[in-house]
Amino acid sequence: MTASTEPRTAAQRPAVTATAVPASVPRRGLRAWATKGHLVAAGLITLAFVSPIYLTLVNAFKSQDQIISNPAAPPAPPTLRNLTDALSRPDRIIEIGLSNSALTVVASVLLIIPLGSAFSFWLSRRSARFRGIVLGGFAAGLMIPPAVVLLPTIRILTFLHLDHTYPGLILANVGGGYLSFAVFVYSGFLRSIPAEIIEAATVDGAGSLRIWWKIVMPLLRPATATVAIFLSLWIWNDFMNPQFILGPLKGQTITTGIYLSVGQYSTNYAQLFGVMLLAAVIPVAGYLALQKQFIAGLTSGASK
Amino acid sequence: MTTRARPRRGDPALGTIAVVALGLYVLFILVPVIMSAWKSLTDENPLLAQSRFVGIANYTEMTHDSALAASLTFTLILAAAVTLVANAAGIGFATLLNKTSLSFRVMRTVAFLPQVLSGVIVAFVWRYLLAQDGILNHVLLSLGIIGQPVTWLGTPHLAMFSVGLVAAWVLTGFTTVVHLAALQSIPVELYQAAMVDGAGRWKRFRHITFPMLAPGTTISVTISLITMLKLYDIIAVLTSGGPADSTQSTALYIIQLAFTDDRYGYASAVAMLLLVVSAGIALTVTSLLRRREVEL
Amino acid sequence: MRHTRLTAACIAAGLALLTGCSAASTGGSAAAGGTTLTYLTFETPSLTASFWDTSIANGEKKVPGLTIKKIVAPSTDRDAYAKQLQASGQFPDLLQSITPSTFATAGLLKPYDQNWVNANFMLPMGNAYKGKVYIPPTNSQIIPMVFYNKKMFAKAGITAVPKTWADFMAVNAKLKAAGMTPIELGGGDPFAASMPLVGILSADVLGKDPNWLQERYAGKVHFTDANVEAAVAKYRTMVKNGDFEDGALGVKYADSITNFTSGKTAMYMMGSWFLGSVPKANADDFGSFMTPTDDGSLVVPFAVGGSMAISAKTADPAKATAFAEAWSLDPANYKTLIEGDGAFPMLKGKTLADYNVNVTQVFKDSYSYVTDQNTKVSAFGWATNDDSMPSGLNDAFYAASQALFTSDDVNGQMAKLDAAWDAATK
Repeated sequence: MTASTEPRTAAQRPAVTATAVPASVPRRGLRAWATKGHLVAAGLITLAFVSPIYLTLVNAFKSQDQIISNPAAPPAPPTLRNLTDALSRPDRIIEIGLSNSALTVVASVLLIIPLGSAFSFWLSRRSARFRGIVLGGFAAGLMIPPAVVLLPTIRILTFLHLDHTYPGLILANVGGGYLSFAVFVYSGFLRSIPAEIIEAATVDGAGSLRIWWKIVMPLLRPATATVAIFLSLWIWNDFMNPQFILGPLKGQTITTGIYLSVGQYSTNYAQLFGVMLLAAVIPVAGYLALQKQFIAGLTSGASK
Repeated sequence: MTTRARPRRGDPALGTIAVVALGLYVLFILVPVIMSAWKSLTDENPLLAQSRFVGIANYTEMTHDSALAASLTFTLILAAAVTLVANAAGIGFATLLNKTSLSFRVMRTVAFLPQVLSGVIVAFVWRYLLAQDGILNHVLLSLGIIGQPVTWLGTPHLAMFSVGLVAAWVLTGFTTVVHLAALQSIPVELYQAAMVDGAGRWKRFRHITFPMLAPGTTISVTISLITMLKLYDIIAVLTSGGPADSTQSTALYIIQLAFTDDRYGYASAVAMLLLVVSAGIALTVTSLLRRREVEL
Repeated sequence: MRHTRLTAACIAAGLALLTGCSAASTGGSAAAGGTTLTYLTFETPSLTASFWDTSIANGEKKVPGLTIKKIVAPSTDRDAYAKQLQASGQFPDLLQSITPSTFATAGLLKPYDQNWVNANFMLPMGNAYKGKVYIPPTNSQIIPMVFYNKKMFAKAGITAVPKTWADFMAVNAKLKAAGMTPIELGGGDPFAASMPLVGILSADVLGKDPNWLQERYAGKVHFTDANVEAAVAKYRTMVKNGDFEDGALGVKYADSITNFTSGKTAMYMMGSWFLGSVPKANADDFGSFMTPTDDGSLVVPFAVGGSMAISAKTADPAKATAFAEAWSLDPANYKTLIEGDGAFPMLKGKTLADYNVNVTQVFKDSYSYVTDQNTKVSAFGWATNDDSMPSGLNDAFYAASQALFTSDDVNGQMAKLDAAWDAATK
């Protein structure tokens, strides 16, 4: 990944069709129509595409009767009943789920970031051959279906007396494919850092840990943003690990919590959508707030 | 590759962190894989204290396990079909949304949303949409496209289709954004030159856009495939593998064998098979696509 | 890398992780000085979260110093969930309505005191496994019964409930001729999809040979035997005749209940727990009969159970047992289970009047199948005694039931069941 492959900002990138079509006078009307048609088509397709999300949103604010009579209608009048019901369940599944998920995400990400970046920095200073082998190993780690390593992972955690505990879940998160992802992103990014910067610091006599913290980490900030955002999202949304590694005894995460709470017998759609909305709101808000970094992260992957 | 600082080996602090990271990798990836490989040669059952070494008995059993054959076929077809559909849709969608005005930027933002949501939430919402009296039937009936409600999740073939539909929906969010990013890295000059040569819309897409998308497509196809081979949460919630095990992916089958049928040994053998198949597919497809990038 | 450094690093990392995380873990808090035990339950439309919470609270009151932590299985398949918990090292202390066989064989369950069981229950050995009682036989169920809508039968000109299989087919034909869907099937939930097959196999196979399941364990009989395939073929015929609605595999169990009670379909093959869902307002519109046999003989597919098993590994066996026994005898639970879940109570020396319950006529009529002298066989796949199926076979059986809704391959599905049985008992 290099600077040249970074996404162009909207301002830099002229719209292709607008500049491309020769602006001869007779065609102007046609072009305006084409542009409008394009907008309408794009709008309709996007709407159809996100209609499931739209339905979740509007139905979370409707009563069961309103949903059944017309599921697609906007909530008129809107009700907050579903949300307050979801938040006042006796098992407090939403509150507990959200705080447990937050705990798991924060602890896992806070451990993976320094571990991943320092390891990648260390790795960047090994021989190309060694680096290739290690990165190959980590790449394999990314591809392994979690179902394959699930059972042995539980056995290992049991051996460490960390089975069905948060430390166990977090440790499995840190050690599993997530660390591989971090190492991948950091290693890719480190390639774009000129060796001279680090050499200069070494000449100054700074220790490697100090160089990593004072010089490398600030340079890696965009990579850290990518790692933090995507790992937070994945760990937040993870279902299999909390379901099997954590289990039900230590309280649910948000995904296993909603899986249990809206179980297979819930035909109360109003409650279902209320719970779904509350469970989705944090990752969606995070995405909307950090959109640029999200896209930048994906882009760096795409043009690597 | 740029030149870099000489390898330095006398760095205890950084070295310690490196050892911890490598140790975690070994403990939670390498050791589990080795353990699975070993268990796959035994008849281990979690309910029984003793397990016996059975050689390749589990592997020979796999050759005539019709449930495994069905789940593997389903998994592979699903992975191929969803990857194809999601990437074709992603390229189309990205081309459509590749404009800079505010409305297009909003649409691009929204297009990624399915990726942000947990598979559990996605599957629950779709379960409601696809229900017998759900919204999809409602809409299709009122448009006169179907005469009576379709049981999207109730018959084996339709349930397979529905799982694919939901997975493709989620993945399209991802493939769209990846391809949008790739589109935006195409130099505008290329198009201008093609215009001068009098190339039409399709020619420009075929000869500039499509080849220039190749790096994006490589990553997008690879990740789609890996995601589909791993897929668990969406199926677990949407159909739990039913009806009649028709949507039981290999990942679900492994979990059923291990956690419901108490057959750790056999489950481990199937896990090894899935591992080999996944790795084989991922490596083959990546190298094929990389070659295509070069050729284009 | 030298060994000492490696070890030191690992220990340092481990400690850092542990101290960092343990502060944040939110484990279940035990009452000060007391014992906390885990209790696996499951929820259905009639066994709601509040039923469990109330019954647990009542039980806790009778055992001082005990706190129960409820675990809810994600589906009604609590056996699978109990195994999953066991596999991940979290086997609960108490497990509601599981199938003891697999767990008991592995030494995971503690049997109840036989004297206590004998003193309290009508059929003390009703669900004993290998001579020991792991779940108190607090109530019984008939799985399935055929429930029917009397008004719809009358409208179709049906005057008597069917006794023989031929009668039953004629009833279906009449209902269809009158433009009605004969039988409701909640095929979207695997267990509900299997109900017609459970009825037919219990009636035809176990009715003729009550020891069939024991003989299957011994390898003397098979699913591919002609009599079993003939029974299963009856179900195929019903499907092909259109006796169930087309999209039945898309109907969830909860919806199948409301479909039947709201008069969309005329019959419903379901366990006797459906009696708890019969609408009070027009309860007299509903009646029940047994799955008909070829010769019209009466076969009652029967299962006894209704309470919880105790883990052999529990930290506090005395308190676990005290709670389980208190729960199993609590009159409040009987009242709720009888009224809401259609349970047939099995306490020794009591009649229905003693439970102070308000039940429908169809409940009383159905209960008479339990109290009458008749041919009772183990409900196929539901009995938790020596006739219970091996681990994992219920799932295979459900899957076969769903498959046979769309596939004609009776022999292929039965061969699969035989293979699954052999793999599970190897």
